[in-house]
Amino acid sequence: MQVFKAMLRIIRKRLPSAMIYIVVFVVISILVTNASTKDNKFEVTKLDICVFDEDDTPESRALTDFIGKINDIAEIENNRDVIIDSLYYKRVNYALIINKGYAEKLAAGETADLFGSYHLDESYSVVYMGQFLDEYITSVTAYLTMGKPIDEAISCTEETLSQHTDVDMLRVDKGGNSHYSVDFAGYFQYMPYILIAAIFTVICQVLVTMNKKDIRYRTNCSCMDSSKYTFQLIIGSGLFVIAVWFMLVIIGAVLNGEMYMGRAWYAVINSFIFSVVVTAMAVFVSSFEPKENVLNIITQVLSIGMSFLCGIFIPMEVLSDGVLSAARFLPAYWYVRANNMIADITPFSFNEVVQCYLIQLGFAVALILLTLLVRKVKYNSAAISTNVKKAVVSD
Amino acid sequence: MFMHILKYELKSGLRSKDMLIWLILFPILLGTVFKVGFGSIYEKTEKFNSIPIAVVEESENKAFRQVIENIGSAEQPFITASFTDREKAEKLLDDGEIEGIIFSGEKLRLTVKEKGLRETMLKSFVEQYSVREKIAMDAFETAPEKAQQVIESLTAETVSSCREIPVTQGNPDVYVQYFYNLIAMVAMFGCITGMTITSHRQADLSALGARSCCSPVPKSVSVLASLASSFLLQTVCMIICVTFLAFVLKVDFGDRLWLVYPTAIFGSILGVSFGFFIGSIARVNEKVKTAILMTTTMLLCFFSGLMVGNMKAVVAEKAPWFNNINPVAVISDCFYCLNIYEDYDRYFTKLITMAVTIVIFITLGIISSRRKKYASI
Repeated sequence: MQVFKAMLRIIRKRLPSAMIYIVVFVVISILVTNASTKDNKFEVTKLDICVFDEDDTPESRALTDFIGKINDIAEIENNRDVIIDSLYYKRVNYALIINKGYAEKLAAGETADLFGSYHLDESYSVVYMGQFLDEYITSVTAYLTMGKPIDEAISCTEETLSQHTDVDMLRVDKGGNSHYSVDFAGYFQYMPYILIAAIFTVICQVLVTMNKKDIRYRTNCSCMDSSKYTFQLIIGSGLFVIAVWFMLVIIGAVLNGEMYMGRAWYAVINSFIFSVVVTAMAVFVSSFEPKENVLNIITQVLSIGMSFLCGIFIPMEVLSDGVLSAARFLPAYWYVRANNMIADITPFSFNEVVQCYLIQLGFAVALILLTLLVRKVKYNSAAISTNVKKAVVSD
Repeated sequence: MFMHILKYELKSGLRSKDMLIWLILFPILLGTVFKVGFGSIYEKTEKFNSIPIAVVEESENKAFRQVIENIGSAEQPFITASFTDREKAEKLLDDGEIEGIIFSGEKLRLTVKEKGLRETMLKSFVEQYSVREKIAMDAFETAPEKAQQVIESLTAETVSSCREIPVTQGNPDVYVQYFYNLIAMVAMFGCITGMTITSHRQADLSALGARSCCSPVPKSVSVLASLASSFLLQTVCMIICVTFLAFVLKVDFGDRLWLVYPTAIFGSILGVSFGFFIGSIARVNEKVKTAILMTTTMLLCFFSGLMVGNMKAVVAEKAPWFNNINPVAVISDCFYCLNIYEDYDRYFTKLITMAVTIVIFITLGIISSRRKKYASI
């Protein structure tokens, strides 16, 4: 086990810089979990609407209140830049201006130019609010035509528009498992990113050190079999990975506020399997002996790229089918798929979850086999002799 | 002497090929992933399109059929409906071909699969029908003599009560901001080359540093020459990066693409100076320096919204000052300003922020690395 021991020594030496990575990524994952909240409840989508009431009459205030009952009123500064930013980043879905003279025009039965809205694009919320306002005005005018005074017309309109139609759902959602809420699933959803980013940077750097010319020549001229050597590398990295994974799982329990129970254990198993895959991936990539600086960039490409393609950063349901079918060839896809099922975002099926586990393990096995192959080809005697020749020439 | 060092720094920069290649490959690979991943999300989920639904007639409801057909013939219909039977409709809904099923009979019923704005719109559409019914009933009850007039006003084509005030000519697709952040990230990756400059000047970190320390050239001259060579190499990387995004992936940067280039280059200069600054003040070995640089860059990218799309807006709400000093946010904001704003005020403010930061980084870096003597290495 000399290789294994040497590896642990290097890991210990690298611990300070490794800790910087791990701490930062843990901070990111905590922030991410707090920043993203998805709800799984049945309710009408509420828009965030800001209203700039330039008329400021009882009529316009009544309208604002009524909008606030159906949607959420967002208070933002009446400043063009702030409004544009809020609309662009969807902090506000609709910016409505009640024009001056709204009450007078309404009483007179005029319907044109009562409102203005800051318009960024033709989104669903714009169409929806446009229809809502038209409906409101049509209804108020209808009641005015019946001869009702304006305040009564407004209250009748509100009453009429508040009727509800029951909406049936095609499939009844079980409402999620109480021990594994959708919010908490977010923590596990982001875990692959953290695992890839943090583990790659540390493990690959250690492995690259192990591959340094002098160390490698010494190992190569020993009687150790190359596959044995590779296996010890995998065990060494695996040990470190499990330590990181364990830490993340404990932090998860702290964030969740309770020990894992029931279905949450499936998620824990899922993340464990994924860390095995990441280990295999790290050993595989490092057998190509990338330079350290380059390694950082490769890590970013792998972690961010996979996170975007496999539904970690943006939810799977908005990704197109083409992307998803390509993502099937990446292990993170199966991780997220299992996680979604466990969280009841997609229908839960025990068999399918196990299937996802097995596919991930399949990736790990395939990667280990590939690593053995690459190392065998690279370090067979012919390849080494050409390398040595090259090294002699360049020295 | 400046030119001499510049020449050799350029040569050595060009020869460390894998770094350059990866700096160029990085945006190409991730940009492609981004484009494939959410190139069409905006069109599909944000931008308004007719909502496909199915109508299942449980009993004869001529009036409703009339309404549906009227809507279908409009120029940009709100919904596109197909009449079908229950089983087929449920299958379509389950496959995601349609957003909802309206069962028309005595009363209208709506069945949907997901919850979202489109489903809410369908709900309000169904309600609208009963709202009109109620208004008509009220009219007959309270003022039968005016009922006809009321019904006419309900069915008449009304002018929209709302006038839309367009706020920008730019590309409103919020997903483009991922590309802004990608460019900003590539620019910030220049920090690695900036950091190598310092370790090539510190005698305790590299043999090259030891050699350059005993040469008679003033440190500031040699440092500025190396910085200049990094700037030049980064400029090439950024030009390739922006060109690839704009012309191969056809990312819409608004109508001022010619200004995107200098902004990106300026950003990469900021990245190099950032690396140079950290490299000069941190008295640790290269590995720890790299760790500090990479993690800070990732954190800054995170706060600028590379991982969670609306992070910048969250920061703007909670700690607005941070967006003004976070270099990644400043760089990506510049692209945003070029796309969305018609005037240049905010864009110039951001550029000036960048310039000031660059000057501060370089000055502090030079100050902390000058007159360093190594009695023994």
